[in-house]
Amino acid sequence: MNNVIALREVSKTYGKGDGAVRALSDISLHVDEGEFIAILGASGSGKSTLMNIVGLMDTADSGQYLLDGQDIMKSHDASLTRLRGRKIGFIFQKYNLIAKYSVLYNVALPLLLAGKSYGQAKQDAAATLERVGLGDKLKRKPAELSGGQAQRVAIARALVTNPTLLLADEPTGALDKKTGEDVLGFMQELHSGAGKTIIMITHDQHVASKAQRIVQLEDGRITGDH
Amino acid sequence: MRLTELLRSVFYSVGANKFRVLLTSLGIIIGSFTIIMVVGIGKAGEDSVSEQYKRLSVETITISRAGGMQMFRGGATSSQSTLSKQQALDMETLEHIKSVGISVSTSTTVAYGQTSKTVTVLGVNEAYQEITHADLALGDYFTDDDGAARRKVCILGYNLAAEMFGDDWESCVGETVKLKGLSFTVEGVLARVGGSAGLSSGSGRSEASTSPDDMVYVPYDVAVKYTTGGSTAAGARMAPGGAGSASYVVLATDIDSVNLAVEEIKDYIYGIVQSDSMYTVADAGSTLSSALQTANTMSTLLIAVAAIVLVVSGIGIMNVLMVSVNERVREIGILKSIGASRAAILMEFLLEAIFISVMGGFLGMGLSFVAPKLLEFFSISYAASAYGLILGFCFSAVTGIFFGFYPAWKASRLKPIEALNAE
Repeated sequence: MNNVIALREVSKTYGKGDGAVRALSDISLHVDEGEFIAILGASGSGKSTLMNIVGLMDTADSGQYLLDGQDIMKSHDASLTRLRGRKIGFIFQKYNLIAKYSVLYNVALPLLLAGKSYGQAKQDAAATLERVGLGDKLKRKPAELSGGQAQRVAIARALVTNPTLLLADEPTGALDKKTGEDVLGFMQELHSGAGKTIIMITHDQHVASKAQRIVQLEDGRITGDH
Repeated sequence: MRLTELLRSVFYSVGANKFRVLLTSLGIIIGSFTIIMVVGIGKAGEDSVSEQYKRLSVETITISRAGGMQMFRGGATSSQSTLSKQQALDMETLEHIKSVGISVSTSTTVAYGQTSKTVTVLGVNEAYQEITHADLALGDYFTDDDGAARRKVCILGYNLAAEMFGDDWESCVGETVKLKGLSFTVEGVLARVGGSAGLSSGSGRSEASTSPDDMVYVPYDVAVKYTTGGSTAAGARMAPGGAGSASYVVLATDIDSVNLAVEEIKDYIYGIVQSDSMYTVADAGSTLSSALQTANTMSTLLIAVAAIVLVVSGIGIMNVLMVSVNERVREIGILKSIGASRAAILMEFLLEAIFISVMGGFLGMGLSFVAPKLLEFFSISYAASAYGLILGFCFSAVTGIFFGFYPAWKASRLKPIEALNAE
């Protein structure tokens, strides 16, 4: 099994001087290909910071980070952007769909950004939307969808580039219990059926229990891994 | 990201904010329109100046009453001697002068049948016709003998003849027209001079065109006796060098003696009127260049004004784009999270700015094709030119790029995580 993610003694501090907040201290974490891992922590535990660093949206102050064997600490902005587009699929709590675009265009965007033709991107996006069960909603705008449907569109957008890693930040946070269960079920399916590597961030013990492995985070330190 | 995709998302954004985009581009529309108009009007001005002097050869020297003085001197003018017709004609005896043309102009109505029109009537002698190279399309010139005999004969400008006689204009020689109610026999029709209708050439009679194509020519003495004087005496005071006071065109013997001739004339006039400032003596070359320079200065000034309009509208574009960037911070964050590069985001916002300004530029161009109709109404002539269109368009595009760059750059430098968490 390959390490998809290898973090070694990663630290991150926000601010300077007396007001400085140490968000992560000496985090070491390995995630293998095909794992479904939940990072469980209360608000302020540093879990969002950890996700941002893992997702290349933010950089660590010190330590080492290998993503798919590639040293991230030495990469500059342009190559981080490229890696982000190619290797990582984000699923956010608030879906983060672009309201003015149709469902289809939202899902096609990562492909277009990666340089695919419009026709090809549309075709792939439609196929992915079919896969998440929204094949009949292609022309809708995000605002016309229910929460559960919007989150599925977001999942489709994360999947469409066939990334190495799916990063889900409180994916059920904005959903009611029933649709939340559906989304979690779908993610489990992606893991067991399609063999996707998934990292899910949550504060909810119950949600975390759906994952294969739970890493507990408290005050920027890992306090449990089982 | 491919360019076509960037353009597609620009169209989405513009489409979602049509009204705001239109308001923003309004400044650009006006700016590019102004530049195009200014260039066109300036060019028409230069054309008309060149046109006016085209018929004057370089050996030509013009003598005209200097402006301003008459009004202040009031009664003194009458007691002071002015150049009489005979004294002017006597200049022909000077060493470096070949011939002396006289003209006096006024505006009056000309009528034939049901048609009646206000025109400029120019009373001229024979030499004037030669000096100004006025060719005839039909008939013959009148002579100085016609003038001496006070024969009421006239020559019509080309357009005027066509207007008065319609399709029959070719047979108008010998017909009678009414000038100020008096019957004049048409002796000939001037060949078409063409060109623009011309800016009013500064003689102050704006109601009648000063293009030779629209004028009536009569013998000088006839003009003095019948058409000028009386009714235009007041006008003569108000408009220096205008109706009622004669102007002279003098032809030097050859190009090399133009300067000598000018000096001779000045001395000669001083000998009569005891004043340097009463008459302006200028040769065609320097008159043309100073007239062109004036037209040029005007164009440059107006272009500067138009450029200021564009700069102001550019700041407007910048402001709108800053607002647009701020509104879309979250969208930029999302785009970054799914792999949008800085270049892609920079290009998207820059293209939006360029789209707004180029659209404004095109609309300004469109307006510039409609506006000459309106200018005609105000008797301002306009010459459409590719140069003006290109200049107006380039200015607007450059404005968009220049003022769109900063907001676009700012958008592209947003930190993904901060952008994504913005409310």
